[in-house]
Amino acid sequence: MATTIEQPEKTKAEPELLGLLAEFDDPSALIEASKKVRDAGYRQWDTHTPFPLHGIDEAMGIKWTILPWIVAACGLTGGTIAVGMQYWMNAVDYPFLISGKPLFSIPACIPITFELSVLLAAFGAFFGMLALNQLPKLYNPLFKSDAFRRATNDRFFISMDARDAKFSEIDSGEFLNSLNPLNVEEFWSDVESPKLPRNLILALSLVGVFLIIPPALVAYKRSTTTNNPRIHIVPDMDFQPSLKAQNTTNLFPDGREVRPNIEGTIPRGQYKDDNIPFFYGLQHLPEDQDVIGIALQDEKKTDPKQADEKKADEKKADAAKAPAAKPAVPDAAAIEASRLDKLPWVTEFPMPVTEKMMARGKERYRIFCSACHGLGGEGDGLVTLRAMGLLQGTWVKPASYHTDNVRKLPVGRLYHTITHGVRKMPAYGPQIPPEDRWAIVLYLRALQKSHQIDANTIPEAEKRKLRDTK
Amino acid sequence: MASVTAEPIDTTIEVPGKRTPLVTGAHDYGTVTEAVCRLAECKTPTSWYIALGISASLMGMLFGLIGYLIITGVGVWGNRSPVFWGWPIVNFVFWVGIGHAGTLISAILFLFRQNWRTGINRAAEAMTIFAVVCAGVFPGIHIGRVWLAYWLFPIPNQMSMWPNFRSPLLWDVFAVSTYATVSLLFWYMGMIPDLATLRDRATGKIQQFAYGLLSLGWNGSSRHWHRYERAYLLLAALAAPLVLSVHTIVSFDFAVSQLPGWHTTIFPPYFVAGAVFSGFAMVLTLMIPARKICGIEDLLTDRHLENMTKVIIATGTMVGYAYAMEFFIAWYGGNRFETFAFINRAFGPYAWAYWIMVSCNVISPQLFWIKKIRTTPWMIFVVCIFVNIGMWFERFVITVTSLSRDFLPSSWGYFRPSIVDVLMLIGSFGLFMTLFLLFCKFMPMVAMAEVKSVMPRPGGKSGH
Repeated sequence: MATTIEQPEKTKAEPELLGLLAEFDDPSALIEASKKVRDAGYRQWDTHTPFPLHGIDEAMGIKWTILPWIVAACGLTGGTIAVGMQYWMNAVDYPFLISGKPLFSIPACIPITFELSVLLAAFGAFFGMLALNQLPKLYNPLFKSDAFRRATNDRFFISMDARDAKFSEIDSGEFLNSLNPLNVEEFWSDVESPKLPRNLILALSLVGVFLIIPPALVAYKRSTTTNNPRIHIVPDMDFQPSLKAQNTTNLFPDGREVRPNIEGTIPRGQYKDDNIPFFYGLQHLPEDQDVIGIALQDEKKTDPKQADEKKADEKKADAAKAPAAKPAVPDAAAIEASRLDKLPWVTEFPMPVTEKMMARGKERYRIFCSACHGLGGEGDGLVTLRAMGLLQGTWVKPASYHTDNVRKLPVGRLYHTITHGVRKMPAYGPQIPPEDRWAIVLYLRALQKSHQIDANTIPEAEKRKLRDTK
Repeated sequence: MASVTAEPIDTTIEVPGKRTPLVTGAHDYGTVTEAVCRLAECKTPTSWYIALGISASLMGMLFGLIGYLIITGVGVWGNRSPVFWGWPIVNFVFWVGIGHAGTLISAILFLFRQNWRTGINRAAEAMTIFAVVCAGVFPGIHIGRVWLAYWLFPIPNQMSMWPNFRSPLLWDVFAVSTYATVSLLFWYMGMIPDLATLRDRATGKIQQFAYGLLSLGWNGSSRHWHRYERAYLLLAALAAPLVLSVHTIVSFDFAVSQLPGWHTTIFPPYFVAGAVFSGFAMVLTLMIPARKICGIEDLLTDRHLENMTKVIIATGTMVGYAYAMEFFIAWYGGNRFETFAFINRAFGPYAWAYWIMVSCNVISPQLFWIKKIRTTPWMIFVVCIFVNIGMWFERFVITVTSLSRDFLPSSWGYFRPSIVDVLMLIGSFGLFMTLFLLFCKFMPMVAMAEVKSVMPRPGGKSGH
């Protein structure tokens, strides 16, 4: 140990007696001896064994460690951090909405909460043990004793600290000898304070300086601006020869990068022309096919000015023929309505009407329509009532089916309305397959009929129901 | 010290009223130290260098292939639609499973006060850590863009995004990294007193410095031992549920998905049993040759081997039960897709893999009912090799058969590994063996302090 450096000491200190070391070769003898040391009233002493000796804790009077409490605290901290982290990251800072599931739920938190609790508790156990034992402590005066090297092998030691109040070199030495050890020796402090070799200091300082460079560079770059593009360490797919969407190109004469469909393209599952009444509610397709897609806007509720701008935006393309229409905006909707009215709507159902279809229509109606239109079709569904209750200005009350206007509409037109929507009603075509739309139309007709029926034509069994008060 | 002059004892026989010794031969504390430290101190045999050379070359091949993979892309594997998990995930689950034995032996057997664990726990824990290292490689490179691996962790980033904590794959990141960390702490903490022994016996400057640094100044103080034992007990208590949780969460990777053949509630217990099963088989595969070569048969006796074979029978039977129960539920649950997945597994294009799995995992461990096989090291070794093969195939069967027949019949395909897949699996064994050989040479292979604490004391009193 004293071979570290050959420099003359400035102050030649006297070596100081640090304590006494007694060696035993039998664990049972050590336990017996420990009891005597404890009973003699010594406090600053220790035993050293190559393995945990059971019974030594009582013999030495070692108090229970507080380590379990440290571990428990660390474990709880880990669990709290885990729950807090998951809540904050997935429900607050970056809400993850996955198939409408709640943003935060305990069951999904359990695995990570468990893992982090265990991780921090394990850190608590390991580092807590080291801290309470004041380890790592690479220098220990006991290590200078050659005999003590067997403390990790097959010998058992008692070390007595000179700082103990009861300690005296002669009395304590005699006392230890009376315990029948193999031998007793003294251990002394170093006269020379150990110093690191100069080369090592130099090397460590150099390493330290080099370690500062990367964070310093990062800090510099982060606090300054630059005109250069970022460095692509890994180019990923940042530079590709393919064309980006919505860009121009000179590959094609029209300069557009996105190619329109080739004429006559029919998307898969979209071939409808073999059954026009069924798919369109029309007897035959009109010349101007754009009309089919019209969803009537509400003429009264729209602010003319806004509508003006809106229409102007939408119809920039055909601005040339628009000027005549511009002052008469309220009429634009009326024109569209009349264009729709002129279409050759089917007036009969394009399939056989069955009881099964009626039941299906009722079921679908209640799922898709009744929320706004009401169960009876009066336009008093729960959503409507709520919107009216809120005096919600933008809400358009759905028309009752039981007005003459609606009653007169051909079934094809009703089918078209479900498909494309009308006023505030959105298009249900994408959600409801054609058969079901027809079934709904059928049920709608039945609802209308139920309001108009002559009481005498009702079958007797049904009439009884009307009479019953219960 | 007393010379070793005991007649051999058959430790596999129970004598009523008498405890069978855990250490055979006339060992005392000093000779135990001698037997273990000799490995680190004696001249290294040439065979070790040869073994290390082979393993390190295979490891080099693995890292070379990883470089090739990173530069070229994941297309170098056989992973094709619809089997995108392929061998990398099979290897991951295989290695993680093996990594269960060490901590199980150390923690659960410690809590159950199975003192025979002291002979094997150190090597088994080391094996655990090396297996987890091998396991960690595969998902790490399987993500494709390796340079973005930090996306797996909740680290603040320029996209202001956080990972999805409801994904089992993220749970897996936490489970495996926690398991690796806690296993490492447990292993290292157990080694501190033994490293101090090596430090105190070391003669060379480098050894003194290295072991001195690693042993943190341990001096065997009883006050230290007191806290150390508390800490060890607490770590064991923490590690025990952790061991069970890791493979449970690995099984969630599969079970939480909707794929027929994966979407089953039996997966967590079934995976854990399989993991213990494969881990014990791997411990035996390593320790049977190692105890012979290192001459530590007195510390790692036939009784240790026999006890471990019993664990293998138990877990192997559980695995067999799980296979049967999967089929029962596939029929009983009445789900057509599930039924198809399982019939396809056993009789479809991968039937060969399925029946290798069943014969290796269900039939071969049953041989351990025969005492002769249980107590003959080379026979145990052969059975354990079969178990290792069978458990690799189990993961292959689960991963590949289910994926290759997904919900869209037009994308069905037959999985074929590429040469890179095969060489990477071999290379991972190289990595594993390299680490294990280094451990055998430089670290205390048997937990000396723990073995000494279960030895009879010189006074004649038992240390149990």
